[in-house]
Amino acid sequence: MKSIIQTRLIHWKKQWLSLLFWLIFPIIASLLIINVTSLIQEDSKIPVGFVLEENTPMAEALLESVKDSPLIRVFEVTENQARDMIERHELDSAFIIKDGYEQQIHRGNRNKLITSYKSDLSFAYTPVSEMVVSYVQEDAGKAKAAHTVMHLAETLKTSEAVTFDEIISLSEEIQSREDLLRTTFSFNHGPSNGNDADITIWNVWGLWAIFSILSTLLLFDWVIKERNSSLVSRFSFIRFSYKSYLLQNLIFYTAVLLFVDSTAALVFHLHVGETINFRLVGAIISFRFICSMAAFLLALLFKNVYLFYGVSFAITLFLAINSGAVLPIEGLTGRFEWLEYLNPLHPFLHQEIWNSWLIILILILGIWFAKGGKLNA
Amino acid sequence: MLNVQAITKLYGDRLILDDISFSIQAGEIVGLVGENGAGKSTMLQLLATLSNPTKGNIFLDDLSYQKHKKNIRKQIGFVPQDIALWEEFTVEENMVFFEKLSWKNKTKQQLKQLCLDMELDKWQEPVNTLSGGMKRKLNLAISLIHDPKVLLLDEPTVGIDLKSRKEIGNYLKRQALEYNKIIVYTSHDMDEIITLCDRILCIGEDPFYKNILNETEKNIITF
Ligand SMILES: Nc1ncnc2c1ncn2[C@@H]1O[C@H](COP(=O)(O)OP(=O)(O)O)[C@@H](O)[C@H]1O
Ligand SMILES: [Mg+2]
Repeated sequence: MKSIIQTRLIHWKKQWLSLLFWLIFPIIASLLIINVTSLIQEDSKIPVGFVLEENTPMAEALLESVKDSPLIRVFEVTENQARDMIERHELDSAFIIKDGYEQQIHRGNRNKLITSYKSDLSFAYTPVSEMVVSYVQEDAGKAKAAHTVMHLAETLKTSEAVTFDEIISLSEEIQSREDLLRTTFSFNHGPSNGNDADITIWNVWGLWAIFSILSTLLLFDWVIKERNSSLVSRFSFIRFSYKSYLLQNLIFYTAVLLFVDSTAALVFHLHVGETINFRLVGAIISFRFICSMAAFLLALLFKNVYLFYGVSFAITLFLAINSGAVLPIEGLTGRFEWLEYLNPLHPFLHQEIWNSWLIILILILGIWFAKGGKLNA
Repeated sequence: MLNVQAITKLYGDRLILDDISFSIQAGEIVGLVGENGAGKSTMLQLLATLSNPTKGNIFLDDLSYQKHKKNIRKQIGFVPQDIALWEEFTVEENMVFFEKLSWKNKTKQQLKQLCLDMELDKWQEPVNTLSGGMKRKLNLAISLIHDPKVLLLDEPTVGIDLKSRKEIGNYLKRQALEYNKIIVYTSHDMDEIITLCDRILCIGEDPFYKNILNETEKNIITF
């Protein structure tokens, strides 16, 4: 193995630039796309001003709820700033949470809690105000329920006195417990609910997987180049069988690519906040084996390296469209479920470590190596 | 001793070599001549274990080609007809590359000396900047890294200048004389064959080669 590595390093010394490019290409490309699209997304959000006249937990919770909305970008400003910005059309609309908001809610008073401004060009005022009002309603509703419970307790003269805060926190607890049940686990963004997943169609691991498939295919052009050359007869007079020479190179390539893959996990962890866990590591290793073996076996079928490049791009494009990692095409994969199983991205994105792709490729590679072929003559 | 016993080679239905037998002693240089397509390269491929005869067998010092292919390969240096080098590598890198894969370990100094022995002194230069003669020398040098007992060369001097041709010839002569190697090689240059070879094998029907050869005193085998 040491001598195989040494010979491979001589090759790499000659092509280090293109080698380096294709090794880091999946990391760079997926980060670039993620950043650009989140910038665009940020830009297309509706700018809305918020003025907090009081800093009570309830007022701040309201602000947080609005901030969580994927369609709104919240600017915290003063009332004067808000008016100026609306005049300059920098804000679509602004909402002022009046001093005494929490107190009024506790008292069950829902009127005049919030003042709003809108620009004369505002197109989002109505939906945004609806949303804000619904959050206020929610708070008010909880308050009303609490008052009702306390009133009941008083009239029934129970010994256990329940406070307003206890009821509110209990109702929030129940609400969040119910939310938990509906939480879908997402590979890419930690817990998030269904709506969020629809909005972020670009997920970094999905993009990375697509680009990795492309770069792995292109990196394995050495199989074609070396088998085509007039040098093949020389490989009959070396210590290794030709197949063993190829196989050891495949192993070395896979090891180096695995190292680059771990770098990707680290970079995504640091830059996009992706979590690293054992399942992810397992999925990456499995995906790497699949990609390397598939690229190697595919390259063995080709004589013309340019045809191989063409097919590599076509395969990548097909997988990108088919996988939904880039475009949500649930309509298509929903209708043809087998499409998903043909897609090697599918097990990776679902973190299935042992999958049919991996097992079938290992079998094919084993058969290729075991059968005494022309290559070995 | 290389012993060829009643070799027949067919490609499909086409008979290329028909019941050929001969033997070559250590220290001998044997030339293989014949018109294009006569089967010279085919014969060298058989001697190099790169293809199998349809009938017959070959022995190297009593080792059967059929049974001991791997062991026999270790003793064979095959110089292909086409230049088989990494074009973008330097001479050094080409030598080191194949030394790493070879049965024998050699130091860089030894590899360099091997090149110098055949007046190949461009150690650091990339192959694609070398002259044809230099490339042919390197093509030969790589095949010698594992110190093979048998040297099989397919047109090692085709298309190169006279000086390189002489240098390669002298080198082969020394290998046979000083190291007792068995050397078989093909060439279209009859003068070269006649001056260099101890014996000449003539393959094919063309009377032209036989007539030239008849004018020399060399030991000629025809089939
Ligand atoms: N792999 C092969 N399959 C079929 N025919 C071949 C093959 N290799 C060589 N031949 C044929 O065998 C004949 C001898 O070829 P070759 O040994 O290369 O001749 P030479 O080297 O004397 O010019 C040619 O007619 C060639 O077409
Ligand atoms: Mg020939």
